[in-house]
Amino acid sequence: MKLHEMGIRRLLRISSALVILGLLVEIASLLWFHPLAFVLFVFVGASLICLGILVYLVSLVFIAERPSGSEKSP
Amino acid sequence: MTGLTGILVAQIVAAIVLASIFLIRPSITAGPTGKILAFLGLFVLPALCLVGGMDTQVQRSEQTRFCTSCHAMVPYGQSLYVDDASYIPAAHFQNHRVPADMACYACHADYTIYGPLKDKLRGVTRIYMQYVSKPPNPIRIPGGYNNNQCLHCHLGARGFEDNPIHSAVMDSLTSNQMSCISSGCHDTIHNVTGLSHVKFWRAGQ
Repeated sequence: MKLHEMGIRRLLRISSALVILGLLVEIASLLWFHPLAFVLFVFVGASLICLGILVYLVSLVFIAERPSGSEKSP
Repeated sequence: MTGLTGILVAQIVAAIVLASIFLIRPSITAGPTGKILAFLGLFVLPALCLVGGMDTQVQRSEQTRFCTSCHAMVPYGQSLYVDDASYIPAAHFQNHRVPADMACYACHADYTIYGPLKDKLRGVTRIYMQYVSKPPNPIRIPGGYNNNQCLHCHLGARGFEDNPIHSAVMDSLTSNQMSCISSGCHDTIHNVTGLSHVKFWRAGQ
């Protein structure tokens, strides 16, 4: 497996994990009716989701910047 | 859980399921279908969940029971049931001059475009006081109570405008130079320190 593809896959895994964690925090904050739930959502859930999306976007940049030498050989 | 919250939770569950696929098998993004799914599962759906979650949380934090679920706010919630019309918040709450389920928000919100969000972020400092430092007793509003909170409903209302006392000091009221609640006119507010000596109203009696 090429190093470049491994990097992208790792980024996708990190992105998925962050998004899933953030979404789980969001569900917990929706089920808990308390001012702390608001804080939990804004400062933990939203941050994790944003970070996950950001890592995904970074992985897209990785794909776009794929070096020409890494293309499939005929 | 309301219907909209239910829809949001279903959307979050769908996003989790989709994101899990890329956690387990990131290699499926090699094909075009996988790429589209990744875009949906790691960008579109999480972003929608984020917006929906923020909207739900802000709306929920406008509810009276949200505010009174904080220990320091319990006496302020009780003061809404004082059986004395001179208590301004109680008179407004009991006579539905403000929506009963949004009583706190109706009089303690900044009515600007970013009002609710700004207020909630300011409320975060209260949570800090509650759990890290100590909330003051009684709680004071930073910068004092702004007349705009009263005037956004009362200004233009016949009963308010026809009152000769109000019209005599209208400029001072609108410019916030004279306070509605601390200039000797409507000065019985929550009075939480004196709640042990007052009679309470019970709805339906």
